[in-house]
Amino acid sequence: MPETGTSPDAVRTAGLRKAFRVKDQQVEAVNGIDLSVAGGQIFGFLGPNGAGKTTTLRILTTLLPADAGEAFVAGADVRRNPQQVRRRIGYVGQLGGADTSATGRENLLLQGRLYGMSAAETARRTEELIAALDLGAFAGRVARSYSGGQRRRLEVALGIMHRPHVLFLDEPSTGLDPQNRANLWDQIRLLRDTGTTVFLTTHYLDEADQLSDRLAIIDHGRIIAEGTPGELKQRYSGDTIAVAPSLPPAGLRSLERDLAAIPSVRSARTEDGSIRLSVTDATQAMAAVFGLLAGRGVGTRAASLAQPSLDDVFLHETGRSLRDAGGSAGSVTREDTAGSSPLEPAQPGEKVPA
Amino acid sequence: MTFALHAGLFFRRKLLETLRQPVWIISGLSAPLLYLALFEPLLKSLAGGAGFPPGQVLEVFVPGILTLMAFGAGMGAGWVVIWEMDSGVIERLRVTPASRLALLLGTVLRDIVMFAVPAVVVIVIAIPFGFQARWGGLALLLLLLAALTAACSASSSALGIGLKQIGSLAAVVTGLQLPLTLLSGILLPLSLGPGWLRVLGHLNPMYYAVEAARDLAAGTITTAAVGIGFLVTGTAAALALWWGTRSYRQAMV
Repeated sequence: MPETGTSPDAVRTAGLRKAFRVKDQQVEAVNGIDLSVAGGQIFGFLGPNGAGKTTTLRILTTLLPADAGEAFVAGADVRRNPQQVRRRIGYVGQLGGADTSATGRENLLLQGRLYGMSAAETARRTEELIAALDLGAFAGRVARSYSGGQRRRLEVALGIMHRPHVLFLDEPSTGLDPQNRANLWDQIRLLRDTGTTVFLTTHYLDEADQLSDRLAIIDHGRIIAEGTPGELKQRYSGDTIAVAPSLPPAGLRSLERDLAAIPSVRSARTEDGSIRLSVTDATQAMAAVFGLLAGRGVGTRAASLAQPSLDDVFLHETGRSLRDAGGSAGSVTREDTAGSSPLEPAQPGEKVPA
Repeated sequence: MTFALHAGLFFRRKLLETLRQPVWIISGLSAPLLYLALFEPLLKSLAGGAGFPPGQVLEVFVPGILTLMAFGAGMGAGWVVIWEMDSGVIERLRVTPASRLALLLGTVLRDIVMFAVPAVVVIVIAIPFGFQARWGGLALLLLLLAALTAACSASSSALGIGLKQIGSLAAVVTGLQLPLTLLSGILLPLSLGPGWLRVLGHLNPMYYAVEAARDLAAGTITTAAVGIGFLVTGTAAALALWWGTRSYRQAMV
């Protein structure tokens, strides 16, 4: 059972590193990650594809040895005592992992026995999970016949079969429709409320924002910001301006470029017909922006100091938008593999809307 | 013991998987039966000639067919492993405390069953054709070929994990299949061939299994060929199991 109260950190890493050789090139997939995740919370690991999220997760779940640094998960040393770690964690990988040639029930029964649960206890827990995750209608069918949402529910059930202290979820909502996604979020919150620490990676801004109690933003193998979603957004409030010019999309694009060229504007991006500017000094920038708009004779429907989003945090730290980095909801999903980073440092002012 | 329990659980899982796809069971049986029905009559006229003791064509032929079955039963393992890597099953199981050897053995034991059951069927069917069943020797023969199946199955899994692609695996396995089977004298004894062919045969581990299998089918258990056959095949199986376990430990998509 998960420990309650003040337990040691559920996950703690120091100086974690992992490099891969890709086409004769050394790629630092994880480049010095220090993490500390307290027990009993949902911890989000947000970053674009190729940032090193999955590699970090694989190190923490004993799948991949780190090159350097140390990692403790649920109180056990990942390098020296992987067996202990395995007993205390659950893992739902990006690929899923349900055995599709077996029924859902068979999958669960096997999983329980592998963790040393007795046959009777496994059977009891299996029925409990079938009820809790609403698998009853299809648990007796082979998993090959499941829909995406049904399969994901089975895979989550497999991950929590043995009541792990820490549950790792790698991009859990990828490929799910909004309904299934909402259900999954509810399940994850329920797990947290019953004492399980949930460590999840995501490249969805809204998922990181709404689901995590705390989160770390990772880019190029390094953590660039960490805190609660509120803290992170607060840190950059006042540094974001949104203007909604009365212009067709084509005009917006060239205006965005010109606005980005203003000295106090760090970068610009267009979102839902309004241009969001990351600025160094809001007062100064505001004047320059209105000056430019007035000079062009462009009217504005709205202009405001914007409520910052996690994307603004990412933008502020990296000069790139996470959406443009291929990381927004609805965009093409790519394997988070080292070396195939789709990210190129973008030049401010050359950004194009997603 | 946890290890035995896990191996048993994985064996059961694999067996269920196979029983759900009876087409494999049928195709596993049809090839040896076709050999028996369509190829064996060709050998009849060779009886008494070189390599074939008089009236004992089947004593030479059946062990070869059984060896071929052992090879075939084992070599398919890699295909399923690749599919299980792609669907994340291996990754999920690697995060559990389950032993990697147990994981490998689940498939190996299933493949042994998938060899042994049709093998007994083929032996029984060969009897009315004139095959003289010497059960003591045949029991040892099945044991020997079970070790060969294990060697092939574990190697195939290791190859699948290492190569990651169905296409690459298919190229390697079919590339190996012909030289390995031709140079082991499965269909016709290598003693019929010229010296250089026999030298090449001696470099092939499967050759020793076939030689031992022929002695065992003839009921002669205490020959040097039998001893060498068990030694070579047993060593190959042990090495393959080590290789396969190591591959499972490091498996990465």
